[in-house]
Amino acid sequence: MDIAFATLLSPMVLFFLLGLCAALLKSQMSIPEAFAKGLAIYLMMSIGLKGGVEMSKNALGQDVVLVMLSGIALSFLLPIIAFALLRATSRLERTDAAAVAAHYGSISIVTFVAAGQAVEAAGLVTSGYLVAVAAMMEVPAIISALMIVYRRGQKDSAIAGAERGELAQEVLLNASVVVLIGSLVIGWLTGAHGMERIAPFFVEPFQGVLCLFLLDMGLSAGRGLRNGWRLLGPATIGFGLYMPLISACLAAGLALLNRMPAGDAALLITLAASSSYIAVPAAMRLALPKAKPAIYLTLSLGITFPFNLIIGLPLYIWLAELVTR
Amino acid sequence: MHIRHRLELIIERMATRRACNILEAAGLTGYTVLPALSGYGRGNHWNRDTDLSAAGDMVVIVSVGSAGAIETALAQLEALLSAHIGVLNVSEVKVLRPDRF
Repeated sequence: MDIAFATLLSPMVLFFLLGLCAALLKSQMSIPEAFAKGLAIYLMMSIGLKGGVEMSKNALGQDVVLVMLSGIALSFLLPIIAFALLRATSRLERTDAAAVAAHYGSISIVTFVAAGQAVEAAGLVTSGYLVAVAAMMEVPAIISALMIVYRRGQKDSAIAGAERGELAQEVLLNASVVVLIGSLVIGWLTGAHGMERIAPFFVEPFQGVLCLFLLDMGLSAGRGLRNGWRLLGPATIGFGLYMPLISACLAAGLALLNRMPAGDAALLITLAASSSYIAVPAAMRLALPKAKPAIYLTLSLGITFPFNLIIGLPLYIWLAELVTR
Repeated sequence: MHIRHRLELIIERMATRRACNILEAAGLTGYTVLPALSGYGRGNHWNRDTDLSAAGDMVVIVSVGSAGAIETALAQLEALLSAHIGVLNVSEVKVLRPDRF
């Protein structure tokens, strides 16, 4: 309960709620688009660097590799479960359901960043390699969702003007993957000594920048909800709330099997429970253009992201402590 | 002044490269891509800066060319618009330097 209150009353969550309420009340407040993208790159660089520095302190063992494989397996498996649930409970068409499923197998790096802060505030210790797990969990869900749509030879004829390899380029070289992996490697190579030199920029201002970014995320979530809520039926909205809990339970099981410490387990659970709204929407516009973006973006950004940030994080930390006790 | 055809395509940002490939293959000698700020269609409002992925952003592609080149592009653009969100219109315009189009 203490963790729940501490998370709910943290400046990050309160700024997110401020943005959300402002957008829902049709406030004209906005953060310039290029500035918001710059903030996202800053946050990804910062957590990549910190993760890399933590990784440089210990050799990569078999336990780390097993957690990475667990993350990849989760990312492949979750869209299959999500797709089956959506088809059974909602009226979403096959392509829309597959596109939504891809989002719930992939991850939200902002939720991961917020979880890192909440885990730290709860007094738990985390390992840097979870940043690498986050990057590894971005792509398998997209492949999984495409396999669902294209099975039994249902592949559409090639889209006019499409280039060979454009989807692979978008998926493997999108900004979040490049910045996260690149910063992780730089942090790993330069270690604690290198980090000391850039800490005043990448460590101290981190929480303030996160507040600013979450204010913008709140505005985005509110605007998305205001414009797209009509497309979501009760079953689809319900999915946006219960699917993170199913994913969290599966990840908790894997954390138990891998004997992960509580802090790392909380981050793995959060990764599984989060849904993408940066890498996957762009990939879906290329791979499944007939899927309606208003459905998957509103659900992921307007329903699941606020749920995870406000209710999910304390729940996932509690779950992690429970399975690692 | 000389008569040419002007093609205006409003399409989702993620399909920009595909649309431009079609215009180039059709023999159009140039085009311009502009960002679209916001709009309304099929009962939905949309804004440029709704999400960080920019997957919901739209652009406007403008190209001027001969009737033949525009006709060639139209068949492929029709196929592209069967998959992607977009609106297309063609109009007659007058240009000063016909050899450029």
